[in-house]
Amino acid sequence: MSVPVGLEESFDAIIFDCDGPDLGDADADVDGLGQRVEALCNAGLHIFALSEKDGTALDRQLRARPGGPGRLHLCSSHGGEIFEVGEVGRRTPELNRPGVPNDSAIAGTTGPARVVDKSDLARYAAAWLAAAGITGQLILVVGDQFGPTGGVAGVDTLLLVDELSRARAVSVGTEPGGLPPGVVHLGGGLRGFLALLDAQLARRREQRVPQVDADPRWVIRLPQGHDEQRTAEALGTLGNGWAAVRACQEEDGPGSSPLFAVGGVYTEDDRLLAGPNWTALDLSREHGHHTDLRLLDLRTATLGRVRDGRQRFRSLRFVSADRFYALALRAEGLPDRLDPGDPLRPPPGASTFERTLEEGACLARTSSGSREIAMAGRDLVRDQPGCRVVERLAAWATGTTTGNRTATKEAQGRLEEMSSDGFDQMLARHRRAWAGRWADAEVVIEGGADADGDQLAARFAVFHLLAAASDQGEAAVGARGLSGEAYNGHVFWDADVFVLPALAAIRPQAARAMLEYRVRRLPAARAAATAKGLRGARFPWESATDGSDVTPRSVRDAHGRPIRIFTGSHEEHIVADVAWAAHRYSSWTGDTEFLNRGPGRDLLADTARYWASRIRLDADGSGHLYGVMGPDEYHQVVDDNAYTNVMARWNLRQAAHLLAAHPRDAEEIREATRWVALAEHLVDGWNPERGIYEQFAGYFDLEPLLVHQVAQPPVAIDVVLGPDRVAGSQLIKQADVLMLHHLIPDQVADGSLVACLRFYDPRTAHGSSLSPAITASLLARGDMADQALELFRLAARLDLDDVTATTAGGVHLATMGGVWQALAYGFLGLAAHGEDLVVDPRLPTAWSALTLHFRFRGRRMSVRATHERVTVSTDAPLGVRLGGHTRHPCTPPGVTIGLDPVGPADRNIT
Amino acid sequence: MTAPVANVVLAALDPSAAARPVLDTALSVARITGGRVEAIHVSDRESETLKTLTERAVVPLRRVAGLVEPTVLTAMAAPDVVIAVIGARSTPSGRRPVGRTARRLLEQATKPVVVVPPDASAARTFTRLLMPLEGEAVSSRPVLDAFLPLLVGDVELFVLHVFTQATLPRMLDKPHYDLEILGREFIATHLPGASRIEMCTGPVGTRVAEMTEQHHIDLIVLTWSQDSSEGRAQVVQDVLARSPIPVMLLPVPSQPSTAADAVGAQ
Repeated sequence: MSVPVGLEESFDAIIFDCDGPDLGDADADVDGLGQRVEALCNAGLHIFALSEKDGTALDRQLRARPGGPGRLHLCSSHGGEIFEVGEVGRRTPELNRPGVPNDSAIAGTTGPARVVDKSDLARYAAAWLAAAGITGQLILVVGDQFGPTGGVAGVDTLLLVDELSRARAVSVGTEPGGLPPGVVHLGGGLRGFLALLDAQLARRREQRVPQVDADPRWVIRLPQGHDEQRTAEALGTLGNGWAAVRACQEEDGPGSSPLFAVGGVYTEDDRLLAGPNWTALDLSREHGHHTDLRLLDLRTATLGRVRDGRQRFRSLRFVSADRFYALALRAEGLPDRLDPGDPLRPPPGASTFERTLEEGACLARTSSGSREIAMAGRDLVRDQPGCRVVERLAAWATGTTTGNRTATKEAQGRLEEMSSDGFDQMLARHRRAWAGRWADAEVVIEGGADADGDQLAARFAVFHLLAAASDQGEAAVGARGLSGEAYNGHVFWDADVFVLPALAAIRPQAARAMLEYRVRRLPAARAAATAKGLRGARFPWESATDGSDVTPRSVRDAHGRPIRIFTGSHEEHIVADVAWAAHRYSSWTGDTEFLNRGPGRDLLADTARYWASRIRLDADGSGHLYGVMGPDEYHQVVDDNAYTNVMARWNLRQAAHLLAAHPRDAEEIREATRWVALAEHLVDGWNPERGIYEQFAGYFDLEPLLVHQVAQPPVAIDVVLGPDRVAGSQLIKQADVLMLHHLIPDQVADGSLVACLRFYDPRTAHGSSLSPAITASLLARGDMADQALELFRLAARLDLDDVTATTAGGVHLATMGGVWQALAYGFLGLAAHGEDLVVDPRLPTAWSALTLHFRFRGRRMSVRATHERVTVSTDAPLGVRLGGHTRHPCTPPGVTIGLDPVGPADRNIT
Repeated sequence: MTAPVANVVLAALDPSAAARPVLDTALSVARITGGRVEAIHVSDRESETLKTLTERAVVPLRRVAGLVEPTVLTAMAAPDVVIAVIGARSTPSGRRPVGRTARRLLEQATKPVVVVPPDASAARTFTRLLMPLEGEAVSSRPVLDAFLPLLVGDVELFVLHVFTQATLPRMLDKPHYDLEILGREFIATHLPGASRIEMCTGPVGTRVAEMTEQHHIDLIVLTWSQDSSEGRAQVVQDVLARSPIPVMLLPVPSQPSTAADAVGAQ
C-alpha cells in the first residue's frame, strides 16, 4: 500500500484511537498490532493509544511490552486512567492519575486535571510530547471516524484538539461522509494502519533524516541568496552554551565561513580558536531549478534542510544540549551525489590542523599557543536503493598542547559514549533538553499577524540567549557569542549589562557562570588597577583568556595613519557594570550567598575600592571622575560622565552596604563609611532647573543638533558628519544618561525619566546596536508603549533583517539581551522587590497580551498581561506588587489581578 | 573553421605624443589579460612615427581610412577584440578628460576601453588595480563577472567604496571591528578575489586619487552607464579628468548614477 503525500515523513509520536469499527477489533496476536507497537517504541517512537475501554481491556487489546526508549501510553477515558507500559507490564495507574505530576524525567507536566472524553487524553498526550520537544508535524494522529455520520461530527474529531492542530491526522476508516479539512484519507482499515506503522518502522530502520516541525511560530527560514550566505550561517548558529557551530551548508566551499568554536577558547593573539569543521560533506552543488529550504527550529535547536531538484538532499544537525560535547549530523541524498568525505576538516585559515585515523574514528585538532580543540568523529554510511544516508557523530574536548594529547583521547572516549546512544536517542534527549530550557523562557505575544512576527523575532533572540552560556564553570560570552569571528569572541559590558540580566531570569546557572568568568579574572583586574597606581579592581573594556585588556590600542586609517582607540583606556564604566551584574544576579535569583559571603562580595568590594581611589575631590569637596568615556562613544574623553559617575556612586553605596552588613574586620566597616561619604560627594550631572541630567561636564554647551536634522535614525551619524563634528554636537550614539534609568532607576531623580527621554531621544542616533532595545524599554516605562514598539521591532529584527550589515560576522547577543529586557522590564514592568515581584505592564496597542516564563528567586513563574489584567503563575508562594505598590499574595498556581484603574481586583487561579 | 581567440587588445593610435603611452598601456593590459596587442591608425596617410613605434614593440599596425569614430568602433566590434585602448588628449590650456571623439567612442563601446592620459607613463607590468565600487549597481555585476576572468596575470585588486546613502551603515558599534566585517562582506558580495578594501566617505574622485597615490595603483577600473550628459557619470568624468594613470571603463547598461549620493561628497 502506497503512503499518501504528507505521510512519507518520519514521525516521532503516534496518537491513535483504539476504538471504532476498523481499529476497535484489532487483535494483537492475530494482527501483529502489538508487535509493531513494541517495535516502534523500541525504535524510539512514543505511542499513545486512546480508548474508551478501561485500561485492562486496552492493554489486553494491544499486548505490547516495549522496552523503549520510546514510551507506550495507554490512555483510557474510562475513569481517566493513563498507564505507561514497559517491558514488565503496566505501571500502576496511581503514578499517572489525573492531576498528578508524572514521570520525573519530564518536569512540569502533569496528568490531565479531569478526563471527560478523548479530547482530554489528546491534550495530555500533546502536553507530554511537547515536554519532550515533540510537536506539530512530528506527531501522527490516526483514527477511523473523523468524518461526519448522520450530520454528527465523527468521534475521532475529539483527537483534533488545538494543541495538535499542526499534527498530521490520517483516517484509515472508510469515511463515507468525507473528512474534515486537513485530515488525510488513507483507508484500508486496520490493514492500512498496519501499513502505516510498517512504513514508519522501515524509515526508522533505514535511519532516514528526521523532519523539523515547520511551525511558523517557531521556525526561521534561513536566507538562501548568494549575498546572504554568511548572514544565514550566523543566524542559524547552533549552540548549547559550551560550543557552537555556524550554519554553513554541507557543501560549503568558496564564500562560506564555517566556524566551530568553544566558549572561552582563544588563540595566542586572543581571537576565537576555530575547531575542526565537522559539518562538511562532499555533496554535488545543485545548479538547475530547485528549492533549498533551511529551517532553524528554535524550539528544538535543530537545523533541517530539504533540497529538491535533481540532486535531492536532506539533512538535520544539532549541537547536543544533553551531552555538552556531542555533535550530530544526519544527511540523505542520491548515492552518486553524496559522499561523506573527511568527517573533520580544517577550518579556513587554520595554521595548525592535524588529522589522523584511529580505530575507525577520525581524530583532529586545531591549536594555537598552548590551547587546542580536539575532536573525534565517525561516519556511518548506509546505502539503500536510490538513497544514501550518512550519519556523523562527533565529540570535542579542549586542552593544552603541553599535555599528552589528553584532549584528543578525551574526545575519542566521548565519541564512544555517544556511539552507544546513537543519533536518534541523542536527538530525543536533545529535544527534551531544549523543551526544558524553553519551559523557563517561553515568550508569547498575542495580537494578530504583526504580533506573531514580533513573537517569532523575540523567540529568535531568546533562542540565541539560551545557547549563549554554559550553566557550569565559567562562561565567556563574547559580543557575537560563538556565531562568528567578529569581535574575536571578546567579552564586553554587553555580557554583564545586556545578556546576564536575561539569563538570570531564564537560565540562572548560566548567569552564574558568566559571573564566574569575572570572578576568576579578579586577580587580573586588581593587577590592572595597581598598574595605574590605584586600588581595587579595574576590569578591562575587552577581555579574553586571562582577563587582561585586549582592546586594540589603535587602528590605521585609509592613509595608514594610526587612530587611537580610547575605549580600553577610558571606558571605565565597565568596572561598575560588572558589580551591577553581580548584584542583579543575586537580587533576581535570590542567591544572596553569592554576594554576602561568596565570590560576588569581592566583585562589589574591589570595584568600589577602584572608584574610591579613582575619584578626585576638588577644593569644594565635590568628587569627580575626569577623563572617562560613557556609553556614548561619539564623545570620547570627557569629565564626569553622568552614567559613569552615578554607576560608580551606586557601586560605592552597594559595596558599603554589603561590607557593613557582613564585615570581615573593623577596617571594612571604616572603609564602608568612607565610601558612603565619598558617594555623597560625587557629582552626577543633575540639572535641577532643566530637570534632566547633563551627560557630561560641558555637554549642554555643545552644538544643539538633533538627529532628524541630519538623517533618519538609526544611522551611524559619525560617518555622515564626521567624528569631529559629532563630537562637537549634542548628537549621541546610544542611551547614556538613560542607561541609568534602565539599570538603577531608584538611583536617579524621581520623575526624571520622561524629561530625559524627551531631551535625549531626539539626539540619539541609535548608531549602536545596543541602543534601540533599551530605549524601547524606557519608552514603555514612560507610558509611550506604541513608540517603544517601533524600536523594539528594530532591535528584535536587527539580525534577521541584517540592519547593521554585519550579522555575517555573528549575531548581536547584547541586542538580544536587550530585547528580553524590553519585554520583561519595559512592557511587563517586572522588577525585583526583595522577595516580591513587581509587575507594571505597559502594552502597545498592537499587542493584546504578552506572556513571559522565567525563574524568580527559585520559583518557576510566568506573567501574562493584557490591557485589562495580569495573571501571575507560580510554583511557590510570593508577593506580587502591582505597579510597585499594592501587594497581592500569590500562591500556586497563581493569581489574576485586574488593571482597572479604579482599583485592582485579584482572584486566585483555579 | 574555428572562431578566433578573443584576446586582442586594440590600441587606437594617432601620430601624437599620446601614441607611446597608449601603446605601452595596451602592452601592459595584454600582459595581465594574456592577450596580444594590435594597433589601428585611422587615417588616409601612413605615419612613419607610428610605423616605427609599433615595429619596435612588435605590434602589428593596421591603417584604415575613414572617419575615426565609426572606424574604431567597427574594429572594436571584431570578435577577437576584448579591450580597446585610446588616448586622452592634452590641450594648450591643460588637461581635458577626453576629446569629443573619444567620448563618443566611450559612449558607444560595447567592450572595455582604457583611456590613457597624455602624460601617463604606463608601468611595464600592472600589479595593482583599483576598482571603485558603489555596491548598489546590480547591473554592473555581470560586467565584472565577465571582466575578471580576463585577468590572468598576477594582479592585486584593490576596492574603494565610498559610502552612499544606500550603503551608509546604520549602526557602527565599534568602527574598527564593524568596518572590517563590512569590508569583508562587500568584497565577498561584489568582488570575491579582491585583496583589500577601503571604505570611507567624501568626494569619490578625491578618494580615488588618494588611494591611487597611496597604494601605487597602476590602473583604475570603473563601471559606467555610458551616459556623460549633464549631471551623470560625475565620478567617471572626475576620475578621467584627474587621473595620472590609465582608466579602464567597463560599459554597463544605463543606470542611475549614485556618485552624487556619496556620503560626504559635498
